[in-house]
This record gives sequence, C-alpha cells and structure tokens, in this order.
Amino acid sequence: MGKVPQKMQFNNAADLLRQFSQQGKRENRLSVLLGLVQITMTILFAFMVAGILDQALFQADSTLPDGQTWLILTLSLVTKAVATYLQNNVANQASIKIRNHLRQFALERCFSLNIRLFPTFKSAELSNLLSTEINSLRLYFADYSAYKYLAVLMPIAVILASATVNWLVPLILAITAPLVPLFMILVGHKAGQASRDNLKQLNRLGNLISDRLKNLQALQLAGTTEQEADKLFRRSESFREATMRVLRLAFLSNTLLEFFSAISVALVAVYLGLFFLDKYQLGSWSADLSLSQGVFLLMLAPEFYLPLRRLGTLYHAKADATSVAEHLLTLNQLADDRTSTDLNSTLEALPEVHHIYIEAVQSGDKDKALHHPLSIQLEANDKILLSGPSGSGKTTLLDTLAGLYPLHYGAIKINGIEHTLYQNPHWRKHIGYMTQTPELLFATIRENLCLGRDFSDEALLKALNDAQIDTLVMSLPGGLDYLISDAGGYLSGGQAQRIALARVFLHKPKLLLLDEPTANLDDATAQAFMQQLAQYSEQGGMLIMTSHRPSDRHFFNKVITMEALSDA
Amino acid sequence: MPNVKRLYLKLLLQERKMALLGIILAVLTAYSGIALLAVSGWFISAAALAGLSAVAAHAFNFFAPGAIVRGLSISRTAGRYGERLSSHEATFRIISHLRANLFRLISRMSWSEQQLNRHETSSRLLQDIQNIEAIYLSAILPAAVSFLVMIAYLITLYIVLPSLLPWVIVPLLFATFVMPWLYSHRVLASETKLHQQHSQQWLSASALLSCMRTLTLFERLRDSGHFLQQQAQETDQEEATAVQRQQAVLLLTQLILIIMTVLVFWQGLLAFQHEQLDGAYAFMLLLLTLGSAEVLLSNCPALANLGLGLAALGRLQHSLIATPEQPDTRHFNHTSSPKLSVQINHLEYSYPQQHRPVFEQFNAQIKGPGWVWLSGRSGVGKSTLLALIYGQLKAKNGTIDVNGISAEQIRLMPQRIDILRTTLRDNLTLNLTINEPALWRALQLVELDHWAKRLPQGLDTWLGEGEWQPSGGERKRIGLARLILQDPKLILLDEPTAGLDSALAEKIYRELRTHWSDKIIICSSHELHFTATQDQSIELTAG
Repeated sequence: MGKVPQKMQFNNAADLLRQFSQQGKRENRLSVLLGLVQITMTILFAFMVAGILDQALFQADSTLPDGQTWLILTLSLVTKAVATYLQNNVANQASIKIRNHLRQFALERCFSLNIRLFPTFKSAELSNLLSTEINSLRLYFADYSAYKYLAVLMPIAVILASATVNWLVPLILAITAPLVPLFMILVGHKAGQASRDNLKQLNRLGNLISDRLKNLQALQLAGTTEQEADKLFRRSESFREATMRVLRLAFLSNTLLEFFSAISVALVAVYLGLFFLDKYQLGSWSADLSLSQGVFLLMLAPEFYLPLRRLGTLYHAKADATSVAEHLLTLNQLADDRTSTDLNSTLEALPEVHHIYIEAVQSGDKDKALHHPLSIQLEANDKILLSGPSGSGKTTLLDTLAGLYPLHYGAIKINGIEHTLYQNPHWRKHIGYMTQTPELLFATIRENLCLGRDFSDEALLKALNDAQIDTLVMSLPGGLDYLISDAGGYLSGGQAQRIALARVFLHKPKLLLLDEPTANLDDATAQAFMQQLAQYSEQGGMLIMTSHRPSDRHFFNKVITMEALSDA
Repeated sequence: MPNVKRLYLKLLLQERKMALLGIILAVLTAYSGIALLAVSGWFISAAALAGLSAVAAHAFNFFAPGAIVRGLSISRTAGRYGERLSSHEATFRIISHLRANLFRLISRMSWSEQQLNRHETSSRLLQDIQNIEAIYLSAILPAAVSFLVMIAYLITLYIVLPSLLPWVIVPLLFATFVMPWLYSHRVLASETKLHQQHSQQWLSASALLSCMRTLTLFERLRDSGHFLQQQAQETDQEEATAVQRQQAVLLLTQLILIIMTVLVFWQGLLAFQHEQLDGAYAFMLLLLTLGSAEVLLSNCPALANLGLGLAALGRLQHSLIATPEQPDTRHFNHTSSPKLSVQINHLEYSYPQQHRPVFEQFNAQIKGPGWVWLSGRSGVGKSTLLALIYGQLKAKNGTIDVNGISAEQIRLMPQRIDILRTTLRDNLTLNLTINEPALWRALQLVELDHWAKRLPQGLDTWLGEGEWQPSGGERKRIGLARLILQDPKLILLDEPTAGLDSALAEKIYRELRTHWSDKIIICSSHELHFTATQDQSIELTAG
C-alpha cells in the first residue's frame, strides 16, 4: 500500500478528486483501452453483418456466407463481451485502490484534527465521511474517470469508421454531437447546483432522523412520538417534492440524449431509404451506395450516442463525488499542522516530574483565547480543585494540560524548564486524563483498561476494586473479556465512569487530570473514590480536578476559580 | 409484531397508479427503442431491395418516408422522461410513508429493546433506504420490462417466421429467468456480507472518533486507524469478489444471447434462400434480436436487487423484533378511589443479562400528595424501581397499584436528559401546544429564565449536537421544565439535581414544592439534605 503524504494542497474539490485519481492511473488507462476494444469490435460486427447481408440478399447469386465468416462474426461479439467483463473488473480494482488512499488520507487528517473541534465537526458526520461517503465514490472512480475519455474517443471511432463509406452520415452525427454537451451544460449547470442542494437536504433529513432516534426517550416520556412521526412525514414529503424538482431537470439531460440518439437513427434511416429509392444521390464517396454500406452506417448510428448516454447516467456519481470531496476539503482545512510539534525533545529524557509551573496560561488558537490567564504551582501531593461556572474553560484547560490543545499565551514549566506540551508524545507518559464522558473503546474490558500496555490480572482486579466496579465486571459474561459494544452497551453511565477510573488507577500517572469524575456516582462510591485519590496523592501524585459536588471541596489543598469570559 | 414486508407491499399497492404508469412507460420506451432500429433496418434494406421486391416498394408509398420512425423516436424520448419521473415519484412516496411508519413502530417498542438497537436501527433506517428504493426501481420495474420485451419478441417471431421459435426459446428462457436467478444466487450472499461489513466499518469509525482523547493520550490512535484500514481492506476484498461474480454471470448471459443472435441471423437468411421470408425482414430480425438482448442483459440484476431490498426490509424487521409482550403488572384505579397513592407488593425483578435479582419480594407504600425520597447506594435499583412504576420495565412478579390517576398521568425524568436538535422552545414543549407565558414560568421555576434570555436567539436558539450545547446542569433543569409543562399527577425523578450546586438545587426544590403541592413526587437522589420532615423516604438495600 502506497504511503499518503502528510500534507496535500488542493485548489478545489475537482482538484482533490483528480490528484487521487492518479493512484489508479494504470488501471484507468487499461480500462480506456478495453473500451476502445469494445467499440472496435462493434464496428467489426457491423462490417461483418453488412458483408453477409450484401452477399446473401443483394448479389445476384445469393449465397450464404461460409463458416469462417460466421466465426469472425461470432468472435467479434464474444471479444466485445469479454472486453466489457475485463473493463469492469479493472475499473473496480482502480476504484478500490483510490478509495483506499482516500481513506488513509482522511484518517490522517482526522488524527491531526484539533480535538476541540469535535463538538462542531460532529463525530457522526466524520464517521459517515470515513466509511459511507468514501465507499459511495465507487462508481465515480470505477467508471466516470474512464468514460470521461471514452465518451469522446468512442464517438470519434464511430465517425471515422462511417467516414470510410460516406461523408454525409458522419457529418450528421458530428453536427448533432456538440449540441449534446451544449444542452448538457445548459441543463446540467442548473441541475448540478440543485442536486448538491438536494444532497445537503438529504443529509439534513438523515441527521434529523438519527437525532430523533437517539433522543427518542424525551419524546416518548412526553408521549408525543405520534406528532413527531407526522412531522417527519411532512419533512420527508417536502424533501420528495424538492427532489422531484431536481430530477425533472436532471432527467431532461438524460431525455435529451435519448432524443438525439433516436433522432440520429431516424435521420440516417430516412436518408438511406431515400438514397436507395433514387430520390437523391448525395453524401456517398462513390456514385452509388450499396446495401452493405447502408447497413454498416445504420448499425453504427446508435453506437455514437451510447458512451455519451453512459456518461449521462454517471452524472449522479460525479455530483456525489464532488460533495464528498468538498467534505474532505473542509476536513483538510480544519486539520492542524503538526510541524510545530516536537520542538524540544528534552521531555524525552525527563525521568520524573517534580514541579509544574503553569504561568499565566491561556488556552486557545493563535488568534483566540478561550479563558482568562491562569497561574498554578503544582508540587508532589498537591490536590487542586478547578471551579467556576460552566463555560469558563475548565475542560479546555485540562485539555491543554494534557497536551491536546495549544497554548494561546503563557508558558508551562516542568521542573523549571519551559516545554511545549501540545501534541508532545513524551508528555503523555506522565499524565492520566479522565474525560467528562467516559471514553470506552469498542473492545473488551481488559483492552479498555490496558490500552496497549501489559498488566497482570491481579493488577487489573486491584484497579477495578479501587474503582469499586470489580463485582459487576466479574458478574458479566466473560468477566475481564466482556466486550463493551457501542457506546457502553449495557453499562450505565456511572459504571462506564468507574471503568474509566479503574483505567486511571491502573496506569498511575504522575499528574492526574479529572473532569467531573464524581458527577454520576452516589455518595458512598464518591467518598471511596476520594479516598483512593488521597492515597494516590500521598504517594506523591499531583491532581487537578473539576467538580460540582460541594462535599468534595474540603479534600483539596488549593481551589482555583475560573471566571467566565464576558464575550463568550 | 407488525410485518415490515407487508407494510411495504401495502404502500406499494397504495401507490399502484403511479407505479403502474412507470412500468407502462418503461415498456413503451423499451419497445419503441427496439422497434425504431428494427423498422429502420427493414426500411433501408427494403428500399435497397426495392428493385427486387415489388411489395416493399409499394409499401413505401404508404409510409410517407420516416413517419413511423419519427413517431417511434418521439415515443421513446417521451416515454423515457415520463417513466423516470413517475417511477421515482412512486418510489419516494413509498419511502416517505415508510420512514414515518417505521419511526412510529420504533417509538412503540419497549424500552430495553430501543436501548439495545438504537445505533443499529438508526443506521439501518438511513443506510437501507437505498436498497428499499431498489425494490421497485431496480427490481420490479426492470423485471416487468424484460418479461414483456421477451413476450413481444416471441410474438413478433411467431408472426414473421414461426419456424425460428424452437431455436430461440431455450436461450431466451435462460436469459429471462435462469440467468437472473444465477446472478442473484452468486451475488446475494456476498452483497449481504458487504452490507454488514459496511455497517461494521461505520460503527468502528464512530467508536474511534468518540474516544479520540483517550486514544491520543495512550498513543493508540495509529493502531486504531490501522485497524480501521484493515477492516476497510477486507471490505474491499469482498467488494472485488462481488463485482467479479456479477460480471462473470453477465458475461455468461451475454454469451448465451450472442449464440441466440447468430442463430436468428443464420436462420433468417436461410429462410430467405428458401423464399419463406422477405429479404428485408432478415435484417430486421437481427436488429430486433440485438435490441431485445440488450434489454434482457441490463435487467439481469433485477432478481438480486429484489433480494437485497427484501433483505433490507428483513433487517429493519429484525431491529423491530420484540421479546414477547409482558403483561403490565401495574394496576390503575382512578374511578373508585380518588386519593393519590402507590402500593408496591411482592415486587420481583432482575435484568435479562445479570443473574442477581434487583428486587426480591419488595414492598412499599406511598401515600400522596407529597415527596418520597429513594435512597441507597448506586446499583441498588433506584432507577429500576422508577422505571417499573413508570412502566418502562415490566416486573417478573408482584403488583404495583396506583390509585387516583390513570396511566397517562405519570411522567418520568430520567438521569440522562435527551436534548433534541431543534430550538429550545421545541425542546421544552416536545410537540405539545403550550403558550409563551407558561414556557417562561416553567423556565423561571427551574432558574433557567436568565440563561434562556441570554441565549443568542432566546427561546428560538437551536440546541443539540453541533448547536448550542447545554451543560449537564442545564440539561437537568430542561428536563424538570418539561415535566412542569406536561403537568402530570405522579412524578418520578431520577437524580434531578446531580451536577447542580447545592444552593441552586435547594432553591429549585423549594419552588417545586410549592408548584407541585398536589402531586406525588418520587425522587431518587444521592443528596438527602433537601428532605423535609413531612417527606416519606424509602431506603433500598441490596438483594
């Protein structure tokens, strides 16, 4: 598998699609070549039919063609069928390859995405992008990129072939040909805009349904699900009407191709018929036109529009691909640049954290601070409560101290030396962070606790016992190997939180960051938990914690109050 | 349990006019397309042979050259446009009804099943719609068209050259019936697997993204990303297999149709030599066969699409499947005894996956109106008891007698307050009609009025994912405000003030005590310092 460069520059959505298409260049060329084999075989077939008809019907000593002629006729059709088979397989290979690269790219970008953006860039939206949307590019990379060329090359082949016997028929075809793209552009431009709007609306409808299902309980408890279903139906209906408006336009371009294809067959047929009836003698290279030439021309006429019609049906694939590419562009722009990290690697050699000085720190991006400047001195055994109204930036500060969020201003000194914590992998060994909503992976309890490091079962059970969740875990089927399915599965909020706690106890970091750890716990458990924290602190740990629980206050030796930013 | 397949059939029949029109126009388009080429072929060869065949030359005078050809091109064009529009109209109408009806069915499902299937159901409802659309658009419609094209082809052959029928009947039946069956047989299993892998991929991606902080801190981001890529590569493998199989069956079908075409051509010319057939018809037959073969080939996947659509309906059905309906162990007695009270007798309950019972022979008596406090350590069953009284959970044994009210007058405030992605107003009313002063009064009771006024658009500010996110305490208070607006008689509160500071909580309890003076309020809480002397209390102990 090829490596995707960390940083890529794109001018627009089309540019992104083009750059990634490069990955399947070879397969694409082969696909175009196989398309040309198909059209060559079609021409050969028409030529053979014309010859056979001429010999059997028109010649005075009408005879049936010999076996060899029949064989060539059959082989031309068989070769065409085989070429189609190969083309579709090759095109799909290309599509798989390109999508693989796109997925890798999107993942990389997600990983360097600023963690604070997750509330805005909804995680559901991102997982859609990573799975469903990238998968939906199948047809675009498989067929559209080949038919972009074939829609030009195949008609040219038809024109060249028919030009060998007649000049008027290719002229008729050549004159109508530019009308197709012209009309397509006229209709397509408007239809393209409308179809993008429509796609957005579909997404909105999808988000609405998934939001209502996720939060169904609120409606059920109010007893108003029926009204919501009616609302949903009305939304769905207005979406249908909007879609039909788009489709009326989109089908028009489809119909237009159908019309041209039909009319060209009709024109050619009428022209040939009149020629044969001696009404006029125009268009032929020679003075006369034989039946075989007529048959050849008539059979090729519909083939002229076939690749264009195919391209027309792929139009949706293109519109979809453009909107997916736009999503990828947004992601690409939002993703942070990682080049500024690892500036000082002195942290690598840091054996022990003795002292942390947070000096006038403000978290935020270059141009925006998210809370007031804050200074904290931290030494071993320190227990600090971070208080303040919601929205004052407590979680943001914890994110910053965990190195997940950049500094806007100020400095953080570890053992007296200033360090960049942001995205610094060496810093992560020293800290433990318990987030407000417990983050449990779709994995076994054991994997959720160990997270890549090795621990004995005794250590795991001790940690679970410390978090007062050992009895429950052991009663689950499989115990430590119980698989936590999506978003906690059977576990309640408090239980999930206690598993996250056990994780923190297990890894014994030097600095512990806790965001509302006791919010979902009952008094007894909360108290036991605080005792564990006290023990941890006595052993030399430092901790910073946010809490709304008034009974927790006396436990800390420092309380830092954060004020809300007035303009927030 | 409602049957989703039957529901789809009902909706399809409901839209039968539009659906039928789509089929008729699609058939018209196919017929005129094939006929256009065939008549043109007949036309030019007859013209070229005019010197030889007096009959054909005579026929031309009736034709006013090209009139039929022109007519056919117009009917083909118009037919295509009409067919596309009516078939899509029919499909989307069905989908609209299906969406709303499925939402109804899901919302009637019992509580624990919804919990279990929430993610699955929503992703199915969203992702499977395309497969369901295909039932009519890519299965019924093309199957009808290819069947009618085959019939028309056979009739034409019967009229023009009946001796050809034995030659074509076997390949034709193969192409119309056997090959679609083979296609679906070869492809369906792998497509179904592909579908599963796609949903799995989605789940893994969303699981990964929701744990970004932890994964980053434990340096596990790369591993998880690698796992996701690996999973995707397996899916790609399956997709390549599916495409290969599809294409192989299509190739086989094409070979059968090629043999048929060559046979027809040869037999046509032979018949001309024996003077059984006019020369122009020999060419026409070839073009007719080529045109029909193209239609039959492109409709080969119809049966497989039907299978996929039905599988999608089956999946939806599966996510709706309920455990057998349990009888309600609650009894409401609101006519004879007007006094509010709740009596719990010999209650037994245990969770389906856990062996340890939550309640064994539990008894309690509550006389209203007033506040009742549930206490006990976490996991002892406070939330479970509230859910049993509310009726979300059904007891294994024992009874809950509720006197003085009907089932509709109970309301529960759960621990987790769901916030819909809509305005604050709609989040409070939840589809009930409530006037503005009442809304503000409720907000004032839970001390949210100042907060609401400060929101960028007041009551019309959008809340929820990706919009304004209320904090934990604000969520709780929105939950309380909802209950105030719904005005029930029996109120069940599950940790209503967890996460609020105690001064604020105390204030809210005081307000609620006066506002809800005539109701029973059963409240589970960790913090019992809000209890008043006249309150009842129930302490739950394990086992």
